[in-house]
Amino acid sequence: MSMDDILEIENLTKRFGDVVANDEITFSVREGEIHGLLGENGAGKSTLMNMLYGLYSPTGGTIRFKGEKRQFNSPKNAIDTGIGMVHQHFMLIPRMSVLENIVLGERETSTAEPETGFRDRVRGLFTRERDRPRKRVTELADSYGLEIDPDAKVWELDIGEQQRVEILKALYRDIDLLILDEPTAVLTPNESRKMFETIRQLVDEGLTVIFITHKLWEIEQMTDRVSVLRDGELIDTVETDGVTQAELAELMVGRDVLFRLEKGAVDIGAPVLEASGLKAEDDRGIESLSGVDLTVQEGEIVGIAGVSGNGQRELAECLIGFRPLEDGRIEIKGENLTDANPRAFVDAGVSFVPEDRYEHGCAADLSVMHNAGSKTYRTDQFESGRYFLDYGDMAAYASDIVDGFDVRGVVDVTETPAGDLSGGNLQKLILAREMSRDPDLLIANQPTRGVDVGAIENIRRLMLDQQENGTGILLLSEDLDELLDVSDRILVIYEGAFVLETTPEETSKWELGMYMSTGEPPTQEPPTEIAEVSE
Amino acid sequence: MFSVDVSSRESLPRWVEYSLPLLTVVAALGVSAIPLAWLGVSPLQSYREIFVSNPTNIRGIANILVTTVPLFLAGLAVYLPLRAGLWNIGAEGQLFVGAIVGSAIALNLSWPAYALLPAMFLFAGIAGGLYGAIPGYLRAKHNVNEIISSLMLTFTATTFAGYLLRGPMQGEGGQSATEQLPTAARLPTVGHPRLHVGVVALVIVAVLGYLLLNRTRLGYEITLIGANPASAVQSGISKYKTYVLVFVIGGSLAGLAGIIEIAGVHGRLFEEFSPEYGFTAIAVALLGRNGVFQVLLAALFFGVITAGGTTIAVTQNVPTAIINVIVALTILFLLTAEFIKDHRLTISFDRSSGTGDRGMEEVS
Repeated sequence: MSMDDILEIENLTKRFGDVVANDEITFSVREGEIHGLLGENGAGKSTLMNMLYGLYSPTGGTIRFKGEKRQFNSPKNAIDTGIGMVHQHFMLIPRMSVLENIVLGERETSTAEPETGFRDRVRGLFTRERDRPRKRVTELADSYGLEIDPDAKVWELDIGEQQRVEILKALYRDIDLLILDEPTAVLTPNESRKMFETIRQLVDEGLTVIFITHKLWEIEQMTDRVSVLRDGELIDTVETDGVTQAELAELMVGRDVLFRLEKGAVDIGAPVLEASGLKAEDDRGIESLSGVDLTVQEGEIVGIAGVSGNGQRELAECLIGFRPLEDGRIEIKGENLTDANPRAFVDAGVSFVPEDRYEHGCAADLSVMHNAGSKTYRTDQFESGRYFLDYGDMAAYASDIVDGFDVRGVVDVTETPAGDLSGGNLQKLILAREMSRDPDLLIANQPTRGVDVGAIENIRRLMLDQQENGTGILLLSEDLDELLDVSDRILVIYEGAFVLETTPEETSKWELGMYMSTGEPPTQEPPTEIAEVSE
Repeated sequence: MFSVDVSSRESLPRWVEYSLPLLTVVAALGVSAIPLAWLGVSPLQSYREIFVSNPTNIRGIANILVTTVPLFLAGLAVYLPLRAGLWNIGAEGQLFVGAIVGSAIALNLSWPAYALLPAMFLFAGIAGGLYGAIPGYLRAKHNVNEIISSLMLTFTATTFAGYLLRGPMQGEGGQSATEQLPTAARLPTVGHPRLHVGVVALVIVAVLGYLLLNRTRLGYEITLIGANPASAVQSGISKYKTYVLVFVIGGSLAGLAGIIEIAGVHGRLFEEFSPEYGFTAIAVALLGRNGVFQVLLAALFFGVITAGGTTIAVTQNVPTAIINVIVALTILFLLTAEFIKDHRLTISFDRSSGTGDRGMEEVS
């Protein structure tokens, strides 16, 4: 352990019952470096970081921070010591403003002096300084390029904006070490680039960053060193220079990984989805779809590219009857389902993978079985008399799809809550539920977001298999590589309207990116650095 | 100086989850000992009477079972909506409506018992169900908070009962009560003069309730809606139908509880016929929230306390209000237990009495 190590972790172990989530992990982070933490979903990255952040207490081992042995009992404890974290799932209060979220828990009094006497303390309990925090937040936001309206309510923000609030919240607390848990999982390429600039700026200012990801090129671009986790064990810590992506992938997965999938030729048939003039409002009542037309045919994958918050969510929800249409018409296989309820869409053979796995995709507290059966329980598959349900059959069915789609972490389908699965495995469970009923139309909103390389490969494979079975697929994604790899047609959505229709052969990542961020054709030549990022 | 640190917890140890209801009860009884002792009664002797001697003689058993019936039915009236994520605070009102409609039929039709009793029960159930449907419908269609609407409807129902009993339904004698119901409208008794046949409802409703929640499609839909409405609706489950149905089924059970209490115990309708069964039902549903049979056990527990409390009120000469004290304390501890389930309490002793903002460093 050298002098400039800010964080030293030795033999850190965490057990949940019989499950060893982290097994004697030892590594160190140098002051001022960007340290990558790479691993598949369920490899133990989040557990490890939650111990650093005081959310879990270790079963064994030691944490040294700035040379002193530490034990964190709560995130507050960790923050006070100088460790901040931005989680994959944001920890913001939707109904409060950006500013309120940032200062939450920090009580600053109107006096500039620290509280000393009893009276000051009492006053500190009941007053809140408003101007100074606002100024500070604005300064921080400006200096790191994190544009945000401090008075906007958090529920009004899209995911990218919410993340900026999370980062500001951490920065506001004067931390020395910032843990970023898969920060780019929710961002567009352009936003990611901005994010990277921000991270570099943070490091220039003397901050140390732990960067959790499973995107290999991000590790290569961003980090100084990288530690690789697999199955709860630390495989190796290496200097990023002098290691290739293929080597990293092998360290992470333990086998060779295919980066490109073979896409076979599929016959395209009759339209399964015909939508015209769709208009809809978002949760705030602001128009977010301004009359779009869309057709998906049997055996066709239509990709929708767009920066998060340009109407993708509303589009997807309209197409399953979950969000009311202001105007327009939807036909599924020629049947008019305009203004029909979600049940009619489910019965018509429409499957849906929602953007938010926890909020819309599953009931986290209920068992894997309950979640697996939610689209099929009405069919005669589990029938037992007219009103009764055969839970034995449902459990058997759940076990089948859990095995068939390689969902890991399920101890007992009737006992294990869906929320206990790791993000990637929960996503596989949702896909399993949606695909195993052999839908005619699959609407997948960000199906591979926040999922590791191995699972991404699986999920794309599954979609291609489904396409070969004649399913029409509408794929909404911010991952342009994914769209270019699997789509037959690509549409770019910008401010609630399609601004470009093209095919993967005719377009490039750069062109799509320009349309996504401006809604207009590119006006300049592609810069070279993007070409680097893309591979 | 010591400090108490409250932080939320992400997982609950199994043993805590299962022993919590029991600990709650023990803690409530422990604290209830204070007012008992203050009244000059030995808490141990009181508890022995409530939990040992009363439940071991036929009269005591009859009292306990008869008290458990309305508690259980009204408890389910709260529990079913709870499973769908809704709060039915209005079981008391639904119980009153059932009692009013059932009594009105009994007083106005001179049918024989085999026709009269089923008619009373049927219409009491329907009335309770319809009354329950109001908050369910308002919540499902217009997102009106069901806690407030169901509670307000309770006041409406009890006040309306007060009007009826001093007006259209008032019997001879000038009290705010109806005439005695005809004998044909009385539930027969078995084994003991107080033990009416209505107690079979305990078994029948428990089995039906269990089947409904754990074996039927509707039960599955209720469970899914209760766990995550957004995901359930996207699966094609109707939130509207589920919300209305749980309130209708719950309300009709509460309505049945009302008429059973009149036809089985009191023999006529009067303003104070229910010692707030519909509100104790909330505690019953919370205590038994893990399942229908647990609700039955919880109802039985409150039945034991209520029946036993009435007994010690006589034998030990304490005010009957002591029953309410014990019940109220149990509810209080239930809420506390709810908090403990979600939060971890750490009590730490800190010698460097909190000066700097760099926090305390603890090594354990």
